[in-house]
Amino acid sequence: MLTRNRFCLLLVGLIIVYWATPLWAIDLEKKVAKARLDNGLTVLMLERKFSPTVSLYIRYRVGAVDEIKGQSGAAHVLEHMMFKGTTTIGTKNYAAEKKLLTQIEQVGQALDNERMQQNKADQKRIKNLASLLKKLQNEHRGYYIPNEIDRLYTENGGLEMNASTGQDVTTYYVNLPANKIELWARIEADRLINPVFREFYTERDVILEERRQSIETNPDGKLYESFMSEAYKVHPYGVPIIGYPQDLTYMSQTAIRHMHRKYLSPENMIIAVVGDINPSKTLKLINQYFGRIPKGNFRPTAIPAEPPQTEERKVEVLFDANPSMIIGYHKPTAPAVEDYVFDVLETILSKGRTSRLYSKLVLQMQIADGISVHNGMPATRYANLFAILARPRHPHTNDELQAAIFRELEILKTHPVTDLELAKAKNQLKMDYVKSLDSNSELASILSYYELLLGDYRYFSNYISHIDKVTAMDIQTAAVKYLAVENRTIAILNKKANEDASTGKNEK
Amino acid sequence: MFCGMIVSGASAAQKFIAPDKLKYPGLDFRIQEAERVLLDNGMVLFYLQNNELPLVSLSALVRTGSLHDPQGKEGLAELTAYMMRTGGTTQLGSADIDQRLDFLAASPSISMSLDSASVYFSFLKSDLDVCLDLLAQILIHPAFEEEKLQTALSLKKEELRRVADNPQKFAFREFNRLLYPSDPRGRYATPSSLKQISRDDLIGFHREYFFPANIILAVSGDISREDAINKIRQYFRHWKDSRQAINIEPPPKEPGHGIFFIRKQIPQSTVVSGEFTLSKNDPDFYAFSVLDFIIGSGGFPSKIFSAVRNNEGLAYSAGSFYRARSNYGVFGTYAFTKTASTFQALHLINSILDDVVAGSISQAELDWAKKSMLNSFIFSFEQPSQIASQQMTIAYEKLPDDYLSGYRKRIEAVTREDLKRVAGKYLNEKRRLTIIVGDTDQFGKLPEKWEQPVFISPQQ
Repeated sequence: MLTRNRFCLLLVGLIIVYWATPLWAIDLEKKVAKARLDNGLTVLMLERKFSPTVSLYIRYRVGAVDEIKGQSGAAHVLEHMMFKGTTTIGTKNYAAEKKLLTQIEQVGQALDNERMQQNKADQKRIKNLASLLKKLQNEHRGYYIPNEIDRLYTENGGLEMNASTGQDVTTYYVNLPANKIELWARIEADRLINPVFREFYTERDVILEERRQSIETNPDGKLYESFMSEAYKVHPYGVPIIGYPQDLTYMSQTAIRHMHRKYLSPENMIIAVVGDINPSKTLKLINQYFGRIPKGNFRPTAIPAEPPQTEERKVEVLFDANPSMIIGYHKPTAPAVEDYVFDVLETILSKGRTSRLYSKLVLQMQIADGISVHNGMPATRYANLFAILARPRHPHTNDELQAAIFRELEILKTHPVTDLELAKAKNQLKMDYVKSLDSNSELASILSYYELLLGDYRYFSNYISHIDKVTAMDIQTAAVKYLAVENRTIAILNKKANEDASTGKNEK
Repeated sequence: MFCGMIVSGASAAQKFIAPDKLKYPGLDFRIQEAERVLLDNGMVLFYLQNNELPLVSLSALVRTGSLHDPQGKEGLAELTAYMMRTGGTTQLGSADIDQRLDFLAASPSISMSLDSASVYFSFLKSDLDVCLDLLAQILIHPAFEEEKLQTALSLKKEELRRVADNPQKFAFREFNRLLYPSDPRGRYATPSSLKQISRDDLIGFHREYFFPANIILAVSGDISREDAINKIRQYFRHWKDSRQAINIEPPPKEPGHGIFFIRKQIPQSTVVSGEFTLSKNDPDFYAFSVLDFIIGSGGFPSKIFSAVRNNEGLAYSAGSFYRARSNYGVFGTYAFTKTASTFQALHLINSILDDVVAGSISQAELDWAKKSMLNSFIFSFEQPSQIASQQMTIAYEKLPDDYLSGYRKRIEAVTREDLKRVAGKYLNEKRRLTIIVGDTDQFGKLPEKWEQPVFISPQQ
């Protein structure tokens, strides 16, 4: 049996072998074909032959940060509305339908305007408008074929068809049998150019339910929202993607159209296609459909920078759940050198059972139930956070756990991490990289993400060579500079004292 | 790289062709198969090579499961699996194992479910020997270190403390528990059952279920057939045991039914309901899969989704699920809706099920479901590891040899009459179990035909 010391020596031997074998150097750049259409749209293609399937990603450099103040949630509502069809998909008679949709919007807006008066509102008028809206909506159903985009995709074998809205970027994706790429091009180009926003008011209700599901009833969601709004006082990263309830409740279709106009800039858009494709044929098809989008007149939104934080910030959330916390520090975003350093530090602190925080807090001190570290919260376009998420193990408290985490972070400032820790973290990051090459959708996602946000997908293919350069000294320097008390935001969730939640008749 | 070679010829004014009129090239698709190999010691191995990346994946299924927890020691199966990975081996202490695996950036996961344990391990091909050596030690000679067991027990207790924190997870957990009222499948770990568990129990549980004939392996990736067979033989050669694989447990007899409330002061209710239905080995499995797809697992166009979400705006998440096992199945529905619309959403879902029993599914819906299931079938063969582990699962569940090759033909054969017949046979509100987690005081008047719901409190 090996003792721990001898084992470590053995590992040092292994390190050399690892460095000498460039396992990660799978030459992605030679395989990725990058093209730009005349209108400025960038297309990335990667051929993978194992299965006759393809993963298709479209990303727009439009996200929640691009919203107008008071219209929080608009980017996400737009994403939902993009599934409601086009002038030629989902309609029985668009000319007739259009008139009805205009009426629905007028009545719906009038109803919102009245409701916004709160207790000064005319209840009778609200009742009349609501019943008129209902009548128009029912009439509209006669002209509309719901869920046509979904039907077309699923019926043709599409899987994982969905979209997501982030602070930085909105993404539409689907996996299809490789012979169905034209269906995707047809639907996506059409809904970009000719979307029709149907069922707006019911969809707004759906999104309010989504908010209840992910924030109002979910301790993690609630804590995250409070944390972000404390960490960002000026920059829109502090505003929830799903929107504040008051903005969402009265969201207008005008706000949605405003967001949609930002989509119509091909230079602000990336397509990635990964799978069993013929790149030149695929490009021709993409040009046939997406080439017709005129060049946009993209002007970036002026977004105020978050001023440097000068003192520690704290917020407490009371909720019917056991304690948890988020601690975050402001830092530069990718591709800054510091961002790579924090990727390595994230790994050293939290990946695997021997990582610093897991082994210390969960296994040795036994005061934590779980711990995770996330570099780059909440997104990539602007300066972001290095965040630690942790849950104390009963009877230990948030305060105790917090103090122990701070002690561990202080050690980083005074003592360099060991060679073994550094080597282990780099191995883990390399492994993550290699594994991410094993899936069409993951590749399409990663390539399009970095091409869009950092202007070059090669951030990803060069990633490991940058990680390799990170030293123990870099980590120590970054810890001193960024993991400072005045640069820190802490959000704590504590259990709300309420009456016994289990009282009721027929107790079992 | 080809840049700027595209000449723009199209203009935005151009009309798009109707999507249903698009013509597609043919798809060259043949089902890839993993090879089945029987090793000397009785282990079965499915093998498929793929050299795209320098990775090897290994998965395994073990015939065991938490349904084998002894009465009063609920939680034992899960702890055994967790402790195999974290409690050291007779050759190496737990800290040593953790160090080695973290350095290799590879860690076998061993997880216990109701009726199986599954292992998944993916590593660089250059680490084949060291990884197989560690895995063999973990599977054959776990040490179950006492100190690590105490930590594992404490973490499990903390998990139980937190069980009601997330209402959706909590509702599904209680649904799964109450579905089996007098069956080991419905017995869950509690703080008192955890107190009864000792290291000897773990040793006994491991000895009872972890032996060669009781495990099926799948290996895929950048490894030759000879290497896969010889290396596994080499590291598992001392694992000898004359026992035959244990049999699949008989299905549960008495399903739970009735209406259960769990009070939690939150603005949205989680409504889950369901009942027992047919197994994967039943000839009507295909008809029921299509039925489930149309009712609520086929995405937006499915009935529950379009009624509850699209038409009424009552939920963001709503739908159905069908969990078919080798000798029984569970069908269920769910919706997460604001407190005021709790009963409305449930009523809507139950009336959809009643209508389906009455034969409301149209030919167009059936065609859509069949096309969708047939056309997406190729995604079951997207990755080599998926192909190998899929065949492993089919062997584990003792499904017919032509399960995959005959799948499309059997889906194709499903008719509207089949749907009506299986719906009539298996969907029945009287046999249904319903759980609602939410602000019970604010639900409003109980529907007339209901019995008084039973209030339950979180088991901690």
